[in-house]
Amino acid sequence: MADDPLAASFVALASYDWGGDPAPLKALDSAVAAATADANRRADLERRLLAVVGAAASRAAKDIACRHLRLIGSAMSVPALAEFLSDDDFAHMARFALERIDGPEAGEALRAALPAAAKHEIAIGIMSSLAARRDHAAVPVLAGLLIGPEPLAAAAALALGRIASPVAAAALVAAAPTSDTVAAAVADARIACGQSLLAAGDRAAAEPLFAAVSAAVGDTPTTRRNRSLRMAARGGLLDCLADA
Amino acid sequence: MPSLPFTTWNPTAMPRSPIALGLIALLLFAAARLPAAPPSAAARQAGDAVLALVAEGDADMQAVALERVRDGDSLAGAWFTTEAAARLAGLSPDRQARLLVALADRGDPAALPAVRPLAVAADERVKLAAIALLGRLGEPADVPLLVEAVSQDGAVAAAARRGLIEIRASDAVRAAASAAAPATQAVLFDILADRRDRQALPLLAAAADGDPAGRAAAMRALARFGTARELDAMVRSFLQATGGERKAAETAIVAVCTTGSDAPAAAATLVAGYGRLDPALQEQLLPVLARVGGPGVMAIVDGMVAEPATRRQGLEALARWPDASVTERILAVHAATADPVEKQLMLNALIRIAPLPDNRLDDAGRLALLEQTFALCDRPEDRGRVIERANAIRTYEAFRFVAGFLDDPALAEAACLSIVELAHHRKLRDAHKPEFMAALDRVLATSQNPELIERATRYKAGQTWDRKRKS
Repeated sequence: MADDPLAASFVALASYDWGGDPAPLKALDSAVAAATADANRRADLERRLLAVVGAAASRAAKDIACRHLRLIGSAMSVPALAEFLSDDDFAHMARFALERIDGPEAGEALRAALPAAAKHEIAIGIMSSLAARRDHAAVPVLAGLLIGPEPLAAAAALALGRIASPVAAAALVAAAPTSDTVAAAVADARIACGQSLLAAGDRAAAEPLFAAVSAAVGDTPTTRRNRSLRMAARGGLLDCLADA
Repeated sequence: MPSLPFTTWNPTAMPRSPIALGLIALLLFAAARLPAAPPSAAARQAGDAVLALVAEGDADMQAVALERVRDGDSLAGAWFTTEAAARLAGLSPDRQARLLVALADRGDPAALPAVRPLAVAADERVKLAAIALLGRLGEPADVPLLVEAVSQDGAVAAAARRGLIEIRASDAVRAAASAAAPATQAVLFDILADRRDRQALPLLAAAADGDPAGRAAAMRALARFGTARELDAMVRSFLQATGGERKAAETAIVAVCTTGSDAPAAAATLVAGYGRLDPALQEQLLPVLARVGGPGVMAIVDGMVAEPATRRQGLEALARWPDASVTERILAVHAATADPVEKQLMLNALIRIAPLPDNRLDDAGRLALLEQTFALCDRPEDRGRVIERANAIRTYEAFRFVAGFLDDPALAEAACLSIVELAHHRKLRDAHKPEFMAALDRVLATSQNPELIERATRYKAGQTWDRKRKS
């Protein structure tokens, strides 16, 4: 074991818990860093890390495994991580890894888990991960949630704002929020989406977003927030003109 | 396989032939001079919308519009700068001022023709903003206007000064300084120093050595960035000056020789120049050398102290030394001499240099030297000065040294001064709070000085005290 520091790291990881000595895990950290450039080493490490995720290891150990899978994970990791997407304790770290795994499988797993999420917190987390992946395929289901319960509608709006595709923009323009909380999220999302689209050169998709916010706050807003929204929206409209 | 008779073109390889390089340079030159593409109709529409908000929008919309003026990306090009500048004349003064600030930030000199008339506007806000813009973006032709403004009062003069420091027109600023009337010239010499315009040094050296009207200002500027090359002119200026001007000239020479960019060379030039003077002029210059210090001057001073005819002069120079490196010499002279004037001269020197920051001694060492100096004092006024100097050593031990004299009526006021000076430093005061509070109570009960009483009261309450306040 002394000749194989990596094997020693995995042994240490199996029994690791927070507050423990992280020194034995250094070899694993180094191996993951080196593996980013070597497909064979990556696959081997990925298998061994997935074994930790699937084992009866501590949360701390699985946490560390997920952090490494975020860096070197592939489609091979998706099924094992997807199993935890509804787990109260571990969903967050499973999503943390899935957000960065390339390939359609990770997005599909997240989208499949969204309707099945038993709690709002879980669903909001999944929406946040879909937004982090800029998952265009998630736009229809997110658009559908704009008329759902208030916490989900607000999270769906913010996710659409981050995805910032033309289809997401259209969904945000069409949104008709019925509560102040959702209206605030929709306004923020419209501005964020508009600015992303403008930066990408899509003036036609950006302009209606700014127009919608400008119409909603009017010409004489009284609150500080609405003044800021008016400035952002009117500024966006000017930029749309200038970039034409 | 035989090699091909021609070379395959490699787009990443740099051409090496002069002809190829010349052609590339010619193409780049021509490209830079092609007229910019005219703005699109949409860009013009956007520009009009922005400028309409600048002219008529409420505060928020004006801010949004001015951000677009500022940020060249969304409405890039000199065409918009010119458009925006052309609208200046039709705006109210406060909107003019804000647009001028945004145009300055935009950084496009295409605004200059429309801005220049506003630098003499009646409204001060507009005038200040226009002057600031000329400073940032102006050309040599704008220097005379700024020079005229710098001779006005208050905020306009200050803005013009900043503009002259910033403007990219070094030759024009130098020429203006050379030709200006004395009062304005003094300000322009300061500006040349702020610009660190090394090409102006010969002009300043000539002025330092010339007309009395310009000498003092030139020396002030040279103090800030003069070099060994200007030193001969500075010495001539010193020798021509009298009274306050001579003191200022001395300070300027010392600055160049101790903190200037080539201080060692400047000090060597000073010593060499001293050696070429006749004795009467050497006597005048020696105090300046003494303030510079260093081995070259030390050799001169040692030689003078060894000769009865020049001993007094040498000791006076020793007493002016800038640092504590001469402490052993001074102590030795004080111990050996029977002349009361020499003894007092050396004692005065010790009182001055003992607490000076010195690489050779730490705080404890400096305090020990000060206590040794105290023991050499016969007169109460000398002891009082030692106690006052102790506050330059910001330690608890220095505090305890001075606090011990609060009960001595002859020394209590000096002790009060040093206790208050040490208490000014919050870290020291708070680290030894009970002792400092008790000492400040004694100051309040003992001192007759209203400022010390006020300061002691404030420090006891945990407040600070602004040294610029007048009591």
